[in-house]
Amino acid sequence: MIDEQTQDLVLQYLLGELDASQTERVRAQIESDQELRNFAIEMEETLASLAYAAKPVAAPPDIPQRILRAEGRSVQPTPKTSRSKVVAANLLPWALAACLAIACVILGLDRESERNGFSRQLAALRATHAETALALAQLQQRSTELEKQLQALQEKDAEAQTELATLKQKAAQDEQAVAALTQKDADSQKELAALRQKNLLSEVKIATLKAQVAKFQQANAVVVWDPYQRNGVLQLEKLPPPAPGKDYQLWVIDPSNPLPVSAGVLSVPSAGLIRTSFHPAQPVQSASAFAISLEKSGGSMKPEGQIIFIGK
Amino acid sequence: MTRLADDPESKFEVSLISRIADGDESAFAALYQRLSSSLYGLAYRMMNDAKEAEDVLQEGFTYIWRRAGSYDPTRSTPFAWAVMIVRNKAIDRLRVRQRGERLRERVEQSVGQERDESSAEEPALRERSAIVRSALEQIPREQREALELAFFGGLTHEEIADRLTTPLGTIKARIRRGLLKLREFLHEEI
Repeated sequence: MIDEQTQDLVLQYLLGELDASQTERVRAQIESDQELRNFAIEMEETLASLAYAAKPVAAPPDIPQRILRAEGRSVQPTPKTSRSKVVAANLLPWALAACLAIACVILGLDRESERNGFSRQLAALRATHAETALALAQLQQRSTELEKQLQALQEKDAEAQTELATLKQKAAQDEQAVAALTQKDADSQKELAALRQKNLLSEVKIATLKAQVAKFQQANAVVVWDPYQRNGVLQLEKLPPPAPGKDYQLWVIDPSNPLPVSAGVLSVPSAGLIRTSFHPAQPVQSASAFAISLEKSGGSMKPEGQIIFIGK
Repeated sequence: MTRLADDPESKFEVSLISRIADGDESAFAALYQRLSSSLYGLAYRMMNDAKEAEDVLQEGFTYIWRRAGSYDPTRSTPFAWAVMIVRNKAIDRLRVRQRGERLRERVEQSVGQERDESSAEEPALRERSAIVRSALEQIPREQREALELAFFGGLTHEEIADRLTTPLGTIKARIRRGLLKLREFLHEEI
């Protein structure tokens, strides 16, 4: 018979209330006394059963994995909890192994316990099987959907590839056409240049100007006019320098213009050979004649002085 | 209704712990699956905080993984062994964090309250819970109160006596008698 004081001490020991020395003393007492040992076992079981009074709560399923990982173990994917409705496909080997272990244990039990245990395990196995089948069906459905999406994408890709090939072919053809046109244009430009050259020579106008004043009979004045460039070259010989306050001025006679167009004041420093190019001050449609007049220094807007040379 | 050592489920759990001692990870996962909801419920009841309860559960199962070799099936059932481990971890936390007073008040307030039976418990677990709660209802309220403050609140006999302004001897007697009656009721239910 265990007295109440010893019972209280054992209970305090089980509830973890004793300090280290008291704990060791009670433990030794329990180990040495079979009756006390049995009492301690029964009280611990009774205390532990109080845990059933706490409302069970679904625990995080990955705690074993966390622990094993922290302990440096290679960890399998999280097994399902009894309350989990989601079963991963890779749980199947784990579930089968667990079921096999359970089945092995069941086989070792007595007949009555075996019947009860087997019923529970069978129900658990059926539940596991149903959930696994459901998960597999969902995975298969998802796989089918993904295959359809993949097929659609592949078809779309094939169409895009075909279109791309067509566009590349067309681009190559366009490039060839552009090259051919470029070549043709270059040829045309050459041909046009040749024609222009040929035409230029045929169209160049050469006019010999005749002196209108006796004083300048000894002088020569020749104009070469390029109708395309609309400019020309004047060559003078034996033309005396103008009197002080006077300048020679060249004029282009254009039928479409009511007044002669000035081609600039001539610089004649001596009576020697002078060759100078000129550009009319206004656009000239056609140059039918050329004239040189003696104007006031700096020239005039229109001929006002004496015409001393003229020629077609 | 203690889970006796010759109970088939206890036998199976003993084999699981034996395999855990040999480093069998699948046995560890299986034991967790069998016990975690009860142990997590216990931790949550004691800590009244989901995160802390989760930490307590993890610490408890870490201890089980490391110390499975020290488990002695002649001393306790696997369930009792695991419960006491998790409870000790919870008490360590309660004491270290000095949250005792607030949490004990919560436990005190929870004494005698109706429990929510609507959780998705497994049938066997639901049955055991119902038996224990029924047995608790059959013992006098003062004994039940002292027992719950000691077990869930982590209060010592002296702390309970102070809290209830009751002589220490009376508290010791309430806890002792309450446990003995609880044991009798549970044995009758088996």
